[in-house]
Amino acid sequence: MTDVLVVAKSVRREFPDGRYGTNVVLRDVDCRIASGARIALTGPSGSGKTTLLHLLGGLDRPTHGSIDWPGLGPFDELRPRHVGFVFQAPSLFPALTVLQNVELPAVLAGEDIQAGSMAARLLEAFGLGGLAGKLPEELSGGQAQRVAMVRALLLGPGLLLADEPTGQLDSRTAQLFFDTVLDCLEGSGAALVVATHDETVAARMATRWIMDHGLLFTEPWRGRMP
Amino acid sequence: MLALWVRGVLARRFMRVAGTAAGVALTVALLATLTLFLLGAGASMTARAISAVSIDWQVQLIPGADPDAVAKVLETTADVRATHRVRYADIAGLEARTGDTTQTTGPGQAIAFDDSYSKDFPAEIRSLSGSADGVLVAQQTAANLHVGPGDMIVIRRSGGLPPASVRIAGVVDLPDADSLFQLPGLPPRAAPQAPPDNVLVLPAEDWRKLFGSPDTPHPESTRLQLHVRLAHGSLPADPTAAYAFATGKKRNLEIGLAGQAVVADNLGARLDAVRQDALYVSVLFLFLGVPGIALAIALTMAVTMSTAGGRRIEQALLRVRGAPMRRILILSAAEAMVASIGGIALGLACALYFLGFVPGLRDNSASAGTTLLLVAMAGLLVGLAAYLLPAWRDARLIATGQARRAVIRTTTPLWQRLWLDLALLAAAGFFFWQQASTGYQIVLAPEGVAATSVDYKAFIAPALFWTGMALLTIRLSGRIIARNGRPLRALIAPVCGPLAAIVAAALSRQASRLTLGIAMTALAISFATSTAIFNETYNAQARVDAELTNGSDVTVFGTTDRPAGAQLAALEQLPETAAAEPMQHRFAYVGADLQDLYGIDPRRIGQATTLSDAYFDGTAADVLGRLASTPDGVLVSEETVQDFQLQPGDTINLRLINARDHQYHPVAFRFVGIAREFPTAPRDSFLVANAAYVGRMTGSDAAEYVLMRSRGDPTALARQASTELSFDPPLKVADIGEATRLIGSSLTAVNLRGLTTVELSFSAVMAAASAGLMLALGFVERRRTFSILGAIGARPGQLAAFLWAEGVLVVTGGILFGLASGIATAWMLVKLLTGVFDPPPQALSVPWLYLGTMLGLLIASVAAAVLFTRPRPGHDAERLRDF
Ligand SMILES: Nc1ncnc2c1ncn2[C@@H]1O[C@H](COP(=O)(O)OP(=O)(O)OP(=O)(O)O)[C@@H](O)[C@H]1O
Ligand SMILES: [Mg+2]
Repeated sequence: MTDVLVVAKSVRREFPDGRYGTNVVLRDVDCRIASGARIALTGPSGSGKTTLLHLLGGLDRPTHGSIDWPGLGPFDELRPRHVGFVFQAPSLFPALTVLQNVELPAVLAGEDIQAGSMAARLLEAFGLGGLAGKLPEELSGGQAQRVAMVRALLLGPGLLLADEPTGQLDSRTAQLFFDTVLDCLEGSGAALVVATHDETVAARMATRWIMDHGLLFTEPWRGRMP
Repeated sequence: MLALWVRGVLARRFMRVAGTAAGVALTVALLATLTLFLLGAGASMTARAISAVSIDWQVQLIPGADPDAVAKVLETTADVRATHRVRYADIAGLEARTGDTTQTTGPGQAIAFDDSYSKDFPAEIRSLSGSADGVLVAQQTAANLHVGPGDMIVIRRSGGLPPASVRIAGVVDLPDADSLFQLPGLPPRAAPQAPPDNVLVLPAEDWRKLFGSPDTPHPESTRLQLHVRLAHGSLPADPTAAYAFATGKKRNLEIGLAGQAVVADNLGARLDAVRQDALYVSVLFLFLGVPGIALAIALTMAVTMSTAGGRRIEQALLRVRGAPMRRILILSAAEAMVASIGGIALGLACALYFLGFVPGLRDNSASAGTTLLLVAMAGLLVGLAAYLLPAWRDARLIATGQARRAVIRTTTPLWQRLWLDLALLAAAGFFFWQQASTGYQIVLAPEGVAATSVDYKAFIAPALFWTGMALLTIRLSGRIIARNGRPLRALIAPVCGPLAAIVAAALSRQASRLTLGIAMTALAISFATSTAIFNETYNAQARVDAELTNGSDVTVFGTTDRPAGAQLAALEQLPETAAAEPMQHRFAYVGADLQDLYGIDPRRIGQATTLSDAYFDGTAADVLGRLASTPDGVLVSEETVQDFQLQPGDTINLRLINARDHQYHPVAFRFVGIAREFPTAPRDSFLVANAAYVGRMTGSDAAEYVLMRSRGDPTALARQASTELSFDPPLKVADIGEATRLIGSSLTAVNLRGLTTVELSFSAVMAAASAGLMLALGFVERRRTFSILGAIGARPGQLAAFLWAEGVLVVTGGILFGLASGIATAWMLVKLLTGVFDPPPQALSVPWLYLGTMLGLLIASVAAAVLFTRPRPGHDAERLRDF
């Protein structure tokens, strides 16, 4: 049987806009993510994809509605053991080397014994072994994104949320990179949600969710979308 | 648009603007209070000097000169408030008969004031008994002649005139006799003229009858002086300028008089005396104030620079959205203006607040307005420069293609490659050595010479040392942090625990940001430490000076007939007494010279008073030890050693009064050392011997004085002693507080307290601000980084470890380097400013309480920075989006 990892019910997220107004970014979003799911989250820019991922990852709280993580434990325990996050914006710690960045979640979790070799192996697997000693500012945008992915994978999360992980990669590199990501998750029961504008990436996912003006369409696509 | 942006900046980047504003406020407040203090000190010194002079000029006419012509010249050259004529006549003596004995006096003077003299010069004559009109006799003269109001006396006129009888109407005191009877026209630094022993004040009419006839055989035995009070409104406030102004006027007068009269310039002489003190105040301002101001400016720069990253990104975003360069510049100028003007307002408010309660700042409202305006402009300059400097640096970095490198330093700074820090320290050593070889003569204001000089080269050594230490701090702490070795990890381990390695790695790549914080903190601590130590040493020395004059905290003075030592047991029992020691005070003839002789117990005297090494030729312990081990030993003054060609061990015969026959008898002493100063002793010549020996040889072991040390409150001890001794009125109790007030004529009078109160509060604030503010701003700038850390699993405690580690580094580095440099600077200052100390201090006095408080504040500010800027869960999403 497949566990339900996350359940979002009538989630609404508003941001204050100007002095009195509010900007409703997510309107009554309902969704559930089962273990092993492969979900592509697409939609126009500004439609609320990043906002939704932050909520699903427990980095943000909804204005209304509820999010539960029945398969991942209580809110406090989400990170990073259970949820891996790849941010859209650069997110490496500038003062640490690539290897140290990747190891960081393990160090913070207090398990640095094997993490070192694990991190090195993962970097190797993504073809980033040569970058281990470099500082983030010495990386290209695409390299930094891939390192961020490796960091999210390190502790073997139950749910991996990736926000535009291939945004700065050419399509061939993106394909190879994505293969490796899927390989890593294979057989672990982990769910993957990828927010992307890249059709080839989206096409490789079993499920597609579409965001539009704060509305989330999770039902099988019936040709409503442009 | 501009207003909107300013509102936006204030709302969203409040910390950033507030940081710079705080720096500007600090600079403005410090600059304003110090400048006002400096102006106020000068003005109050001048005012005090002027008010101490009662007759500004004494113009003495040469025999035969026309008084009206001279008065006319006076009126035209100076702004004269009042002129009075005073006539002097030398007399051969006075006689008085009481009953059947006749008392006579030696020579004296008979003087006559014109009408309403005492209205314009009230300080010259004070009526003691009888009438204030008619023939008045000076108190001393009345005592010599045993006469009072109503008695007749005979004036023995000089030059063969017959004696004349007058009836005394009153007895007076002439408090300002030194000035009143001086002979104008003597060269400066001539031997001081003693006022006449016998003085008779006659009504002008009587004087003319007795001495004014044109056929007086000796016209030089009478003199006419014009006593002049000048209008003081036109005198400059600064003592040096006032002195130049007053002496200039006097010279003009002398030229106008063309030899018809000579002028005694009492006003100029008085101003002359305070000039040196005034110069020392400005020197102290430079030494103690300028580093503080420099520090405040540097702090503003550093704080603004630490937030430059955020501004840079904002500007980049604006540029991307197509805002023209001009608009971007205007917007950043607007932020600079908001920060500067806010800071100036806050700083001036602080300064005005200080003005209210710091002594020495109040009485100069005249120039305050302009001063504050200038200070405000300086503050604006500092604020704008703080914003422009990083922008300029960015532009340069972008031009050299280094803009993206935030973490990696590609090059060692030029100054490090040139070893500028060590070069500066070496140069500081050289200049200091040079000053030392000239005997630290910083301020020269020779008496009677208009030109004064301050040896500004003396400032070079501390300035170079300070900068050198700052650079050395940056180099050493930078190296320790960047190397990421065991010292760094050991240092942060207590706050980081298992994260130490990763935190150390992170810190090691932010060395330049951290070393800036450490260097600023070290400079602030150094400034606070050196100021505080200097101040404490100065105060301790002022106390030593007072103790030297007074003898000890509290001294009971008695006579051989009524020795204070008889009450020793009672005095020892007083609750406030910490120690009480008897001391003999006798007189002894050294050849023909009568000197004070102090009989002490050399082993115990130190319990009741401080005996500094400077008092002796050799250390105090050595010299007193030698005296203790030589029962018949004696310490004499340098002058006596010269006069008698004494060698250590020589026998010297003194003549002391013996208690049995009250006659002087020779007593043999052995010369064992030189004493330059001794508690209660006069500055010139005196002797110190063992009390036991003196007692044995004179047949009296009476101790005339008792020196007492209080448990902390000399005034209370003095009060207790006075009460205890009230049945024995001849014993006089004096406490150190009175002596301090008496010595107050010198630099201590220039309320140094005002300067140091300001300095010490500011330096404590700056130390705290430099550490706390810089850390806090650094944290705020890196909030997003901390949010990411949180997102990848850092618990709040672990996030805090990163912050605490930085705090520990800044505090440890700052304290280490700051204290080292502060103590060294204080030592240098005390040496360079030897001139303000009398006697020179033996060791630095360390104000532990202040230093402890300052360091406590510093640590508290670091803790506050960590606690307030510590990332709190729940705000992550917003920050994660920030670039
Ligand atoms: N902290 C915030 N405050 C105010 N508005 C916000 C905030 N975060 C997001 N928004 C708004 O929410 C909307 C959705 O943003 P979101 O980043 O989720 O879009 P997205 O679908 O990820 O876009 P993209 O494909 O460009 O990444 C946007 O209009 C954005 O302006
Ligand atoms: Mg997005």
